[in-house]
Amino acid sequence: KNLKCVTHNLHKMTCTWDVSSRRRHGQTDICYTTNDFPPLVCFKTKEKKVEIPVPDSSTTMTITTNSISGTAFATKEFEIHKKDVLFVPVTPRILSLTPDFSTSTINLKWSDNGSVFPNGLDAFWQIQILRKETMEKVTEVTYYSKLTHEDVILSWNWTSDMPLECTSHYVKIRCYINVTQFVGLKDWSDWSPIGVIPGKDADPSGSGVFPLDTVVAVGSDVTFCCVHEEDQNITTMSYGSKSYPMIQLSSRSYAIRVLNASASDTSGTNVVCRLNNGMMDGTVLFVGYAPDIPQDISCETPNFLTIKCTWKPGRPSGLYGKRRTKYSLFERKSGKNVSCEVNEMNRERICGFPVLADQKTYDFILGVSNPIGQTESSLLVDLTQRVHPKTPEKLTVSGSNSTSIHLRWFINGSFTEIRLLCQIEISSGHSERKLHNISMPGGKFSSYTAQLNALHPYTKYQFRVRCSAADHFWKWSDWSRVEEHTTSEA
Amino acid sequence: MAGADSPSTALRRRDLCTRGIRLVGKMRSDVIDLLDTYVERQGLDASASVAAVEGVPPAAVERWDEQTGTQRLLENLAAYRAFRALLAQMLEEQREQLGEAGAALGRALAAVLLQVSAFTYHLEELLRLESRSPPSEEGDGPPPRPPLSLFEQKLRGLGVLRELAQWALRSARDLRQLAKPSPGTGSAPGLAESP
Repeated sequence: KNLKCVTHNLHKMTCTWDVSSRRRHGQTDICYTTNDFPPLVCFKTKEKKVEIPVPDSSTTMTITTNSISGTAFATKEFEIHKKDVLFVPVTPRILSLTPDFSTSTINLKWSDNGSVFPNGLDAFWQIQILRKETMEKVTEVTYYSKLTHEDVILSWNWTSDMPLECTSHYVKIRCYINVTQFVGLKDWSDWSPIGVIPGKDADPSGSGVFPLDTVVAVGSDVTFCCVHEEDQNITTMSYGSKSYPMIQLSSRSYAIRVLNASASDTSGTNVVCRLNNGMMDGTVLFVGYAPDIPQDISCETPNFLTIKCTWKPGRPSGLYGKRRTKYSLFERKSGKNVSCEVNEMNRERICGFPVLADQKTYDFILGVSNPIGQTESSLLVDLTQRVHPKTPEKLTVSGSNSTSIHLRWFINGSFTEIRLLCQIEISSGHSERKLHNISMPGGKFSSYTAQLNALHPYTKYQFRVRCSAADHFWKWSDWSRVEEHTTSEA
Repeated sequence: MAGADSPSTALRRRDLCTRGIRLVGKMRSDVIDLLDTYVERQGLDASASVAAVEGVPPAAVERWDEQTGTQRLLENLAAYRAFRALLAQMLEEQREQLGEAGAALGRALAAVLLQVSAFTYHLEELLRLESRSPPSEEGDGPPPRPPLSLFEQKLRGLGVLRELAQWALRSARDLRQLAKPSPGTGSAPGLAESP
């Protein structure tokens, strides 16, 4: 009685039954015929189960139970209809369970055993994560995949809300395959054998406070745990200057939960676990912001040798030292990348990039990243339109006669690609300052000259000069030093 | 056993001891200021109990009065060489962890490191005065160990500064002991004999 047939692969099914009589019995004679295949198949078995093909419609099976001496004492015929056959997928097997302690993430890999089934079936995988010695269910997830008539290794990641070191995490998985064309009953497979990621509290010498020296965004909720050795007890656990209620994870591991963490000091916020022997253990949490998108990014060249980019960093990240926000300048056309040395304490950010031979336009991407996030800002620059010459140097004035003078100055840089516009400021005594503009071809680390006429004889003048690009003005250089000169007498 | 000093050596020793006492007194007050800053900047609890710092001989010593002058100098020298290495490591860790944000604390640490280095040199001078070359420094540093976590670094720094403050006290006492003229002769005894 209670004949039950279960198939794991839609081809073969295993039928099991009970024998009501209490008499001791010997072998069992099985005969079956599937109305799709007329010949009767018979054989003997000692077990109370048998594996036979899954019929397309139904199977007739006769089960004769014999006594120890071999004489039949009970015979029963069963009509097994396909709709009564139960389809249960093979129990999945965890291939690998890999922890990433730095991100508290567990990676689970398993095979979908798809080769056994026709192509295109929908498969549902129920995955349970359990924790603590009491095997509390932390989460249950249903993962969907499509079978492809091949054995495919599936992979799934789960990030814990607490460091994996805090206590052991257990994983099990089972599957349900929606065989639409199978008229029989369908059910979930059995759960897989449990996979385990041991916590530090499973290691006899394990101890410490976790997560260790990590960085999170402002507003995060963080779970810390203190794992102590066998013969110790925790008296308090504090975050910064505040003690928190402790949650027991296991006999050697306790946790606290900090909600909506605010920005930490430069040296981070200490999480301290005080033990009954007076000692302390702890970790440091750095709470900051992801980098802001750089504002007002601007690039110019002072000398056609280097390009100087500046920008405003936006909101400070609150992270310093090796966790500080880092900048890099990537130029798309040349593929060249430069990392920028930036002092996180001053507001202005500056980065230098070399002027490349035969390249006039630069397609910059300013990459910004810190342990919490990253962003970028881009800028297309035509260098000839972004010239901001250095201050003119070595300004000299010489007089050719009583009403005209000769000026000479030097500008550091190579301006052969452009024309320069220079402005000479002339002032003397109480008279109004006059500006005299002059443009000339740019030179390479060269001096420039100008002649000024119509000056007054025997008069003391002050001269200074500044320059810029003549076509596509961008910025004036700073003024040169003032040079004084008195014109000769008429 | 070295006999009594020549007057010039005794004078030189007393001068070195006097200047050493002044240097170590200044160092102690700077260390105490630094301790307050350190505790505050590192978010520590000033009353935190910290394990002994590996690699630094404890300032407390039994039968202090029975030590010879040479023992005193050698123990002082070993301690301050250890502090010099530990403070240099702390400075490096500060730069790595805080960058520019820790510049003020870094400067204070560097100032104390400078004084420790100066006092170490001072101790070596005192030893040379007794024609006794200071022990070489190879293999002096603590054995390499796994990197400390940030919290452990913070606690160790606290331990180093506390122990340094204690050593400054002890060094002053040791130097006063060395500078004492031996009874009757009016000149300081050779280091080997001075209790």
